[in-house]
Amino acid sequence: MSWAHKDMVGIQDLSASEIATVLEMSKSFKEISRRDIKKVPTLRGKTVVLFFYEASTRTRLSFELAAKRLSADTVSLAGSGSSFTKGETIIDGADNVMAMQPDCLVIRCPFAGVPKALAERLPCAVLNAGDGYNEHPSQALLDMFTMQERFGSLKGLNVSIVGDISHSRVARSNIYGLTKMGAQVTVVAPKTLLPSGIENFGVRVTSDFDSVLPSSDVVMMLRVQKERIKEQLFPSDREYSTLFGLNARRVALMQPQAVIMHPGPMNRGVEIGHDACDGERAVILDQVENGVAVRMSLMYLSLGGGANVD
Amino acid sequence: MANIPSSVEQVEQLLAELTAKLTAAFSSWEQVAFVGVRSGGELLARQVVGRLERSCGVKLPLGLLDISFYRDDISKRLFSPEVKNTEIDFSIDNQTIILVDDVLNTGRTVRAALDHLMDLGRPKRIMLLVLFDRGGRELPFQADFVGARVDLPDDKRVKLKAAGETFEVVIKEARP
Repeated sequence: MSWAHKDMVGIQDLSASEIATVLEMSKSFKEISRRDIKKVPTLRGKTVVLFFYEASTRTRLSFELAAKRLSADTVSLAGSGSSFTKGETIIDGADNVMAMQPDCLVIRCPFAGVPKALAERLPCAVLNAGDGYNEHPSQALLDMFTMQERFGSLKGLNVSIVGDISHSRVARSNIYGLTKMGAQVTVVAPKTLLPSGIENFGVRVTSDFDSVLPSSDVVMMLRVQKERIKEQLFPSDREYSTLFGLNARRVALMQPQAVIMHPGPMNRGVEIGHDACDGERAVILDQVENGVAVRMSLMYLSLGGGANVD
Repeated sequence: MANIPSSVEQVEQLLAELTAKLTAAFSSWEQVAFVGVRSGGELLARQVVGRLERSCGVKLPLGLLDISFYRDDISKRLFSPEVKNTEIDFSIDNQTIILVDDVLNTGRTVRAALDHLMDLGRPKRIMLLVLFDRGGRELPFQADFVGARVDLPDDKRVKLKAAGETFEVVIKEARP
């Protein structure tokens, strides 16, 4: 099959077979990062600009390394260091960047819809690194890659996503992707952190964390997105942790072959305890490693990706 | 230039001749390894290595190269993305590497394969073995071991297709 997308704005735009293509291709890219010379000449001479208006460790580093390992030139800008602080709009900023002929713009910002608007406006490839609480497509793809690596297939997999669903782009992108790939998704959260109408996304909904643990193949923990929350949505971190934290008692309720995931950054002791994130079921660092491979796939596909078919 | 040898007997003959040429060229198989360029070169390499191992009583290392990321036409977006892995589980440093591909044409695949190999180590020597040399060179490469020189019109291409334990020769339309 061929890749018809200039951009990667959201999992909503991808078909199941396109998702499968990205996952399959990421296996090859993963191998490159384990070589001595971690570079292939594929995107030599291409320019990738990374514009991160929100804080990021993993995603930014991951996209940058992905571009560099494909031999592209990268330039990285943080919102705080850019003219955004002087009142320039994002669209103006992007137009100015475009005048310098980048081949790809990777953008993270707190406003949903900006990557889509830029994708429609700019001739370069636009990759969404997270827009508000809308989508974080590369995260969902790396999460699905990690699950597939561990379980062979996503079809019929029981995935529980636990935490601040309301404000989570990771939850949304994963829900879109996993349901397309035939997994069974359950979201677990206090009612104050569940968006209304969530049942319409094809997921099971519960506020009883213990009840999902024995049957989950994957338990994906999400951080409470305090930076996005203005109201008091639960009494205290401690109460949240007691009811919705993955602690040692809850880990013991999980099946032995089930895995624990977290997109990072973790707030240890709040949504996830040491026994969970440092234990043998955790694949959190695999997720990070896989992130580079998946982002290499996305850049490769968006910037040419024509490979030989014999 | 011959018509394309494509029957089972003709292919068998070519493989026997290639095996003989290789046996004549190497008095010792120490520090020699084969690397097949996926996908057609993989099919050929397995057959060649199998025959050599049987006739010479040696075990020969065989690696597989996927050159998708080294191609020079990536931005053209011409074909579907179908990438396999490079699998070479031995060191290529100081080895004589016999690169195996099904067809030598423009030479661009060989160029990509050489770049990829050089990123993996420093072979002592790289030689090229192909089943068919169809001419049409766009880069200055020649094969050290050739099954047959063939003449194909520009609108046709020849490929090896897996067939049970071995392969068959298939003539197809060239890609647009």
